[in-house]
This record gives sequence, structure tokens and C-alpha cells, in this order.
Amino acid sequence: MTLEQERPQPQRSEARRAALSPQPNVIDVSVIVPITMPGAHVRQVVESMARELERLERSWECILVFDGVRGKAWAEAAELVQRFPDKVRSIGFQQSFGESVCLSGGFEQARGRIIVTTPQYVQVDPWELGRMLAELEAGADFVTPWRSPRIDPRLNRIQSALFNWVMRRIIHARFHDLNCYFRAFKREVLEELTIYGDMYRFLPVIAYRQGFKVVETKVRHLQEWGGAGFFGLGVYVRRVLDILGMVFLAKFTLKPLRFFGVLGGTLVVLGGSVLTYLFYLWLAKDEGLYQKPLFLVALIISVLGVQIIGFGLVGEIIIYTQARNLREYRVERIWDSRTAPDADARNDDQHRPRSA
Amino acid sequence: MSAAVEISVVVPVFDEEQNLVPLQAELAAALNGLGEPWEVVYVDDRSRDGSLATMLRLRDADPHVRVIAFRARAGQTAALAAGFDHARGNILVTIDGDLQNDPADIPKLVAELRRGHDIVAGWRRDRHDGWFLRRLPSRVANELIRRVTGVEIHDTGCTLKAFRRELVHNLPIYSEQHRFLPAMSRSTGARISEVVVNHRARRFGRSKYGISRLVRVLLDLLVIKMVTAFSQRPLAYFMLLTVPFLLASGVFAVDCLKNWEQLSLDNKWGRGAVIVYGFLFMLCCFFLGLGLVAELAVKASGMHGRRARRVIMSSPEPQGRAR
Repeated sequence: MTLEQERPQPQRSEARRAALSPQPNVIDVSVIVPITMPGAHVRQVVESMARELERLERSWECILVFDGVRGKAWAEAAELVQRFPDKVRSIGFQQSFGESVCLSGGFEQARGRIIVTTPQYVQVDPWELGRMLAELEAGADFVTPWRSPRIDPRLNRIQSALFNWVMRRIIHARFHDLNCYFRAFKREVLEELTIYGDMYRFLPVIAYRQGFKVVETKVRHLQEWGGAGFFGLGVYVRRVLDILGMVFLAKFTLKPLRFFGVLGGTLVVLGGSVLTYLFYLWLAKDEGLYQKPLFLVALIISVLGVQIIGFGLVGEIIIYTQARNLREYRVERIWDSRTAPDADARNDDQHRPRSA
Repeated sequence: MSAAVEISVVVPVFDEEQNLVPLQAELAAALNGLGEPWEVVYVDDRSRDGSLATMLRLRDADPHVRVIAFRARAGQTAALAAGFDHARGNILVTIDGDLQNDPADIPKLVAELRRGHDIVAGWRRDRHDGWFLRRLPSRVANELIRRVTGVEIHDTGCTLKAFRRELVHNLPIYSEQHRFLPAMSRSTGARISEVVVNHRARRFGRSKYGISRLVRVLLDLLVIKMVTAFSQRPLAYFMLLTVPFLLASGVFAVDCLKNWEQLSLDNKWGRGAVIVYGFLFMLCCFFLGLGLVAELAVKASGMHGRRARRVIMSSPEPQGRAR
């Protein structure tokens, strides 16, 4: 079952769709596997992907990116590289940089038209890959999975559902499962992005924001790593910060003063009005000023407000001075003048008759 | 089109399907009359009607036309920025896609630009829009903008403008601030002029502006004014901001010193004056710190270097330009 995302923008017109043709890359599919644990099931993952892609008759390659870990997985990878020469490659980072950097690093090496990322164990039925690729060929730019039904313990499911629900509320992108990394997308999606930190998790949301067509598809959940129960407190704090960061970046990147100004301005108005009232009592009614705790509180609030506005100002200055480097727009396609020497004649004029 | 392009016209388009064909015809008529190589760059900001298809047909029919399509809707300012980034001409002309500007004015703008100006703005002296919803807010906004920025332009909101290429390529264009391009470039010594242009009533489609824009424009104006000033000398301006707080903290410091013998956290001097003085002084230090950070940010951006280059580039009078 496929859920097409609702988009604020209209669907691509036929002209738009027809004009966007894939780039001629050598390979159909590049599978990128970030490996963060020495006990990763590298062999199973690569073998299942290879089997599936051979069955689907796609040319493929697999890039294993070791995020500062070695161990058993590293030995397995070496063996796989021997077994599939020219197909499997492995990259090892000297230290851990996180999955986002693994993906970026893998992507730099990838030659495929389509990029598939998969977790380091067989989490989802490999058979779903065919459906996801078909989805991409039907016009989607990004296919994100939705494990349904999930097979991990109930407590984990509740936590995950809560996280996804909050994300849906806040950023209004209707994805049900941002925590499953078995994803397939077109090369173009990553060509415009530098991803870092925890952006890996939010990749479908980011792609959707960039105007790509993101499709969610239900997949069969096979197994889950990690025990039941609660994560450490740090994990939850990080998650909340992630969400805040996403919201801030999405809404206010180019208008820091609007964000900080509203926040700080509210505080200043609040503290300022209390202070004015207290000064009035002091001057007109000769009531004590310094003795009142309210005076202190109002003072602190106003000072805080002024400081927050100050931050906004610095943010605005940074944006202003960097504005030439920030592109606010994403170009989907450029049609150069018809007779220009560098006109893109390859995939362009074949479906429209030349008039001259 | 192997000859270098002299004039690039940038047209941001959002839902202007019916206007595009007549617009292109008028542009072609006006620009062919100049006898110089030209191009039109249409930037489609994800129109919901058939605008993109129409643009592509225009491109097939006329080798002067180039089309840029956005992947996601980004707004008029971004569309102009994209057009500027991809235009090839030495002179960049911006014009609305709604036919309210008259392409026949473009030669006038170009001639004025060549008289030695860096920016020529159009002035719609006789506007054909609703008085209350469009013209009154515009009058107010323009008067304020003129006062605040000191740039003597009557009509900042008019999209029909001509720019010298070197100037535009160093200007920060972001958010919704395309209308302030002349104001922003003034601090760099750009020579700005204006020309009265024809303004026509809307024939097709519908306006995408409203009165709510006025408030936002004014807020933007404030920000622009502040940021352009601050980014010149951030530390100095932040120090200026500390002055009121420093003065106030001085008052309280004197208050404290007068009652030096009684100074203790148990009486009113301790609880009041010392605390107030402490907070105000802290704020001063905070602003100084922010000023230093801002100074770093500006320095790291290399903006001052770009500005120096720009002044040098635009200083010779452009009269002798090869035509």
C-alpha cells in the first residue's frame, strides 16, 4: 500500500515531468550501509541486497561505510570485497562521525542513479526493495518506509509512535516512521544537500521541504536490534533538541531577528510594564521599590529579553553578510536558450518539435 | 547567440499564464529596437497554472528566451536572485510578469543607466491600482523608506528596475528584500537614478499583494537599516547600544558609593542599588561580547573586501562602454 504525501504545491505538470529525465549514470543502484557496530550483519545485508538486485536485473554496487568501528564486520567486509570485485567497496573512518557523515562519505563514492540506504542488519524484508524502486520509477524522488506492523516490544513502539506523532504535529509532514533507515531515493536528492549531525534521521522531511516528491510505503518488519525499555535520558534530550533545531532551521534560517525579536520583545514588554508600574508606585505613592521581589523578577526578565534580541541582531548580521553564499531557491531545471551552444539538447528537444 | 549578451531581462513568474505571450511580444519589440544582443530569463516560482508550459513554448519560438524552474516555491525575491545568478548580460533589467510594467520603458532605463548610474528604478507616477488598498500603503511606505534610507526614490516597490551587473552580483539578496536593493547599495556609493515609467491596469490574473504587506515591509525596512549600519562597524554600534545601560548603571553605582558605609545585602542599598547596578553592568559586558562576535562574523564573511572591489569596479564613468 502506498501513501502519497499531500503537498502544498501542486503535482508536477506533465511538461515538467517529461522534461526531467535521469542523468546517464553507469550504475542503476548504489547501496550505502553505514556500519556503527562491530557486530553488524554485513554479510547478510550485502547478500540479501545483492540477491534482490540481481533478481530485479539492476546493475548495482554496495558501499560499506565503517563509522570508526572494525571487528568482525570489517573482516566480513574484506571477504565480501573479494567475492564481489568492482561491486562491494568499503570505506573506514578513523573515528566515529555519525550516520549522516557516513551517508555523505558513501555518496561521494556512489555512481548509482538511485541510492539505497539500509541499516546494518536485515531489518526489513529485502523483497520490498523492488517495490520501492518501482515507486521511484513511477515518478517519486524519495521512498521512505513505514514498518507496519512492527514487531519490536510494545514499549519501543509506543515511544516511536509518540516521536513520529510529535514530528507530524510540528513539521506537518505526514511520515509515520522516521526511524527506519531502509530508504531509496534519486541521486539528485543528495546532490544539493550537505547532511550532518542527526539530519540522517530527518532526510525524508528535508527532501520533502526541498520540493522533492516523497512517497511513504508500508514495508514488512523482520527484526529489530536493541532491547526493550527506555533509552538513556541523553537520547530523549537529544531528540527534543533535534526537533527544535529542525523547526528553527526550517522557519527562521533567513529571519533570525524575527524569531529572537518576537521572543525577546515579549519578555521586554512584560518586564518593562511591571517595572513601569513599580516605578509609578515608588514615585507617586512613595512605596518601596527595592524591597519588592517582583522588582527583581521584572528586572531579570527585561534584561533577558534585551539579551535575546541581541542574539537575533547578531544572527541577522551573520545572515546579511553571508547572504551571497546562501541560495534560497532550488533550481529544478534550466532550459537554456534554444540555440545556445551549451543548450541541453540531450534530453530536451526530443519531445518537442523544433519550430525553426 | 554566441555573441555576448548585453541586456538580460529577468522576469519572476507566478501564475501568469495569460500574460506571458503578450509580455514576450512586447519585450521582443522593445529590445530588438535597441539593436543589442539580449535575453529574457523567465524564473518560474512553481506556478500552479500552465505558466511553465507557456514559457517553454516561448523558448521554442524565440532563441532569446531562457527558463529556470524552481523545485519548491521560494518567493519573488528568490526568483529575482536566481535570475540574477543565471543572467549573462552586463545590464540586468527586472520586470513583473503581470504586464503592468510596460516593456517599452526598458530602453529609457538602459539609456539612463549608461548616463553613468548603477541602478535605475522605475517610478510609476500614474498608478492604475486601487487607491486604498494599493496606492495609499505604497505612498506611506515609500515616504518612510525615503526618510529612513535617504535614497531619493519615489517608488521602491516598482519591479521595473535596471542594474549594472557588477553591482548586483555583490549585493545580498535574501528574505523579501528585493525592493530595498537600491537602499542597500547606497552605502556602497552606488549611483542611483529613477525614470518615470508607464503603469497599466492588470489585464489577466490577480494581484498577489495586499495591505498586510505594508507592515512587513516596514519591519523589513527597520531590519535593513539596522543591519546595513551594524555590519559596517559592528563593535562600534554594539558599544553604542550599551551607552544607555552604562549611564543607568552609573547612576546606581553613584547611589551605592554615596551610602558606602551602609552597603550590605540586608538593607535597601544592598538589595536594590547593587543588584540593579550588577544587572545593567552585566548587560553592557554582554553587548560588548556580542559586538566582538559580530565583528568576527563580518570579518570572516569577507564582506569588506567585496565592497572595496565593487567601488573600484564601478568608479570609471561607463560612457565609453562598447556598444
